[in-house]
Amino acid sequence: MRKVKKPVFFVVLLLIVLFTLSVFFGFSTYYGDMKTVHIKGLDNIRFGIDIKGGVDVTFTPPEDVEATDANMDAAKEVIVQRMVNLGITDYECYIDYDNSRIIVRFPWKDGETEFDPEAAVKELGETAELTFREGHEVDELGAPAGITAENVILVGSDIQEAYRAYNSQDNQYVVSLTLTDSGKEKFAEATARLYKENGVISIWMDDTCISYPTVSAVITDGQAQISGSFDAESSKALADKINSGALPFKLVTASFSTISPSLGSGALHAMVIAGIIAFAFIAVYIIAIYRLPGVVAVIALVGQVAGTLAFVSGYFGFMNGSILTIPGIAGIILAVGMGVDANVITSERIKEELYKGKTLDGAIESGFKSAFSAILDGNVTMVLVAIILMGAFGTPDSVFAKVLHFAFFMFGPSTAGTIYSFGFTLVSGVILNLFFGVFCSRLMLSSLSKFKALRNPVLYGGKKNA
Amino acid sequence: MHKTFNFDFIGKRKLFFTISIVLVAFSILSTFIFGVDLDIQFKGGTIITYVYDGDLDCDSFVNDAKEILGGAGVKYTTGVDFSTGKSNIQLSLTSTSGLSSDKQFELTNALTEKYATNNIDLIESSDVSPSSGREFFLKCIVAVILSSIVLIIYIAIRFKKIGGWLAGICAIIALLHDCIIVYGTFIVCGMPINANFMAVVLTILGYSINNTIVIYDRIRENTKLYGKKKTREENVNLSINQSLTRSINTSLTTVVAMLAVTIVAAVYGVTSIISFSLPVMVGMIAGTYSSVCLVSVLWSFFEDKKDARKGAPKAAAKQA
Repeated sequence: MRKVKKPVFFVVLLLIVLFTLSVFFGFSTYYGDMKTVHIKGLDNIRFGIDIKGGVDVTFTPPEDVEATDANMDAAKEVIVQRMVNLGITDYECYIDYDNSRIIVRFPWKDGETEFDPEAAVKELGETAELTFREGHEVDELGAPAGITAENVILVGSDIQEAYRAYNSQDNQYVVSLTLTDSGKEKFAEATARLYKENGVISIWMDDTCISYPTVSAVITDGQAQISGSFDAESSKALADKINSGALPFKLVTASFSTISPSLGSGALHAMVIAGIIAFAFIAVYIIAIYRLPGVVAVIALVGQVAGTLAFVSGYFGFMNGSILTIPGIAGIILAVGMGVDANVITSERIKEELYKGKTLDGAIESGFKSAFSAILDGNVTMVLVAIILMGAFGTPDSVFAKVLHFAFFMFGPSTAGTIYSFGFTLVSGVILNLFFGVFCSRLMLSSLSKFKALRNPVLYGGKKNA
Repeated sequence: MHKTFNFDFIGKRKLFFTISIVLVAFSILSTFIFGVDLDIQFKGGTIITYVYDGDLDCDSFVNDAKEILGGAGVKYTTGVDFSTGKSNIQLSLTSTSGLSSDKQFELTNALTEKYATNNIDLIESSDVSPSSGREFFLKCIVAVILSSIVLIIYIAIRFKKIGGWLAGICAIIALLHDCIIVYGTFIVCGMPINANFMAVVLTILGYSINNTIVIYDRIRENTKLYGKKKTREENVNLSINQSLTRSINTSLTTVVAMLAVTIVAAVYGVTSIISFSLPVMVGMIAGTYSSVCLVSVLWSFFEDKKDARKGAPKAAAKQA
């Protein structure tokens, strides 16, 4: 690194400052009232329900019911559909097939005051009312009206099952329906009549229309097909929704917690103030003890914290952000501690080398070199622990969860996903520490040491130049 | 400014072992003295918190709740909600099956209606069935055990030069020591064992293993540097002393940072953060102590034992 030139410090500093500013404030453009977010800022961070308040609930079929995987898919569809109806768009919902559970989590919306979580959860678990109705007449709220409200052709119990199928003649996905005997008759009568009128049958889940196919044949054998511009996913989604109406059970809650938004916001405010005070103390302390390497360390730490927040907010387009919880903040703190440590170890080594009588350049060079193995080993162990946590407490479809399935196969996805956030922030922070705390620090310090005014060893903790 | 330390850590090992054994024993015994408050996240049950205005007849409130729930065991505590400044009442139910959301809905509606003048409002509720609580608890334990195994293997490979397996096991013993002290802190402070506890244990696990590795790294380097010229005892003492300034500075910065968090949280009354930051602070001190005074001393103690058993002549004890 002897070749590092003087301007390198300013380039690295400028890059870190620009990066930090863009992470904190993001970058959006306005076109009229339309806001387009190009780079996500800190306001795009999604906080977990332990900070922001919200609902965390696990649904399961009643004890005496054996639910199939198809049942669970269908039940999830009902829940998702209902959340959308309640205006809840920022939710997590996933299925644990092994234990027949559906885990749902959603934070409060900003400014939410009138939301009743108990009533909402009660509603989410209810069996959906599925109906096939004549025509597609709706009122201004989108609920059935006119003939559509009056004439219900089929109800949930008339349908035996719905599934996705592939029609190789037309090369397209379709949804196939098998009706029960009671449904078969009613459907034959209705399709016979509506086929002549070129009529429509609309399919409803509660008060939401999920499809309204045109009747293109008279169906007498209880085997119907809905075709349209389906792809693999949308055909399965519709089949799941239809199945949900035929669900033979009502979901009950296995665990259910709500945290009011006022409880959370105070915690966040306090955390921000505490974070600023703690960071200011660290900065003053390391600069006082280590002088020039201390200044470099503080710049590197700013970059590391900004980088971790960038991972959380989803700043980098190629990967999604993660929800930030209180244990997640703990992960950031631990990673900052690791960052402080990396810089402390290096600065101590440089000081030691100076006392051994090395030249400044030699001391900086070998200081970074001899500190590296300790920093690397410390950080790698941290990554290992974080990966195990992410595997244990992440969503079941994440990479780490699949890799570690051998150890956690007997457990379902966790009911307290807050710990996942700890692993996420820790792993991001530690990787960034290797980049900022080792690589950038080294560039900056080597470049600064080329300035004549900054060549006095006393600035690096060494003895005064004679 | 540049200090070199020259403490004889190995020579004081009896003192260090005694301190650690006493602390660990006290932490374990405190379970029986103070009792464990296992949070419902682990044992299952229901906690519902309401805020209210004015004066509330708590006893009749709880009796009404009992009646609605069909005579289930209901305990309550009262307090003040820090963010709204309103009084609150917390009902806790231990049930074998958890409280269904239907039942909870019914409860809240009935209570809100009956105590309309008090403006009852649900602020927080948490219901966990005992089976999912137990499962979460077990999962945490499996995660900690798996992490320990992976760490032992990693240390064994990276520190082969200084007898990796034993070094790994000593590091884990120290981790266990730190975690038990963290546990003791929770018990003594009367804080519930919950997901926060897990986050603390994991933080300390990472913090302590890093401290240990920094010292192991120095021992590895000195072994390479001095080879047989120094005895194991001399080498360990030298390595701990050489990294002592680093250990003190890193620990001081992180502990004071946590202290700042604890004080701010106390000023704002955010108990959920205090129940995290306070034990982390204690754990950080324990972690620094164990990695400086315990791990490598323990490691050299076991290595010596191993040599003695092998009948290998113990390296002549040179006076430093």
